[in-house]
Amino acid sequence: MVKNNFWSPYAAGIGLGLTLLMTFYITGWGLGASSAFSLLAGVGIKTISPEYAKTLEYFSQYVNAEAPLLNWILFEVIGLFLGALTGALISRNFKLELDKGSSMAPRTRLLTAFTGGTLIGFASRLARGCTSGVALSGGAQLAVSGWIFVIAMFIGGYIAAFFFRRLWQ
Amino acid sequence: MTAPFLFDQSISLFFAGVLGFFFGLFLERGGLGNPHKLTGVFYLTDFTVPKVMFSAIVVAGAGLYFMADMKLLDMERIWFVPTFFWPQIAGGALFGIGFVLSGYCPGTAVAGLASGRLDALVTMAGFGAGSFVFAVLYPYLENFYNSSAMPGATLPKILNLNPWFIIVFLIFFAVAMFYVMEKYEKKD
Repeated sequence: MVKNNFWSPYAAGIGLGLTLLMTFYITGWGLGASSAFSLLAGVGIKTISPEYAKTLEYFSQYVNAEAPLLNWILFEVIGLFLGALTGALISRNFKLELDKGSSMAPRTRLLTAFTGGTLIGFASRLARGCTSGVALSGGAQLAVSGWIFVIAMFIGGYIAAFFFRRLWQ
Repeated sequence: MTAPFLFDQSISLFFAGVLGFFFGLFLERGGLGNPHKLTGVFYLTDFTVPKVMFSAIVVAGAGLYFMADMKLLDMERIWFVPTFFWPQIAGGALFGIGFVLSGYCPGTAVAGLASGRLDALVTMAGFGAGSFVFAVLYPYLENFYNSSAMPGATLPKILNLNPWFIIVFLIFFAVAMFYVMEKYEKKD
């Protein structure tokens, strides 16, 4: 089920840690991901209905920006995509598929993917970031935010896994 | 001139792309574009997530505090992840539920799509939808969102400990955790 031509998770983790360290060192920012999707949602709403977008105070940071797409996190996420694509291609690990638990119907998978994604999109805004922006970057800074987020995330995840035991089995 | 170096926009966006490239490469090569491996930790079948995550945190954390001690980097000018206690507890718990349901988190969904997984694209549409829901509900959430602020709170400050005490503790904790996980995975 799981193809195993991956690198050692410790080697990948050390590489990821050094990338994060270089990000702090060079730019003064941490790594992130979730706000790129918030930005795209804000820009999308503005494109569909500029009047409605103006009523959403939380999106004003994107709606009022002169060039909202020239954004650090968005470029970082585009780089992330290209880096992961390179990794998948050089290791022949690229495969077009709808990945899911073995006993799950494709329609159910579309539903869990979208529902889970929506929960994450909402939760990342509430927590001011995700596993990259809060857990990894904050965790390495020894910021309280990173560690309380990690603990709460594992508690939420284990509760969900308890109720949805056959989701990925 | 001490790091971090602040650049004008075009150089800054160039570095964002390059650093993001390595971020994605290590995520994918570590197995974190694969939702089976990503959710394994919650079903106690595959511990790739904590192995990659804790290795990265201790390397970056030790490196950051070491560079600051050596005066190679000015910690005051680094953007510190702000703490808002209860919103981050609530957000973290909801995030964990979404993680198990979708099989991804934001960065790893991008890595999942890059390895050909179309379900990751559906999850990414969900990230946008969830952000939109937050923006719509923001007037009702604003008070909670800005509550329990702990500006600049770090573990060394609130526990009144030397940062290296915490970093060494985290290294020992990570190594002990990895040892138990390796034993447990071999047993299966």
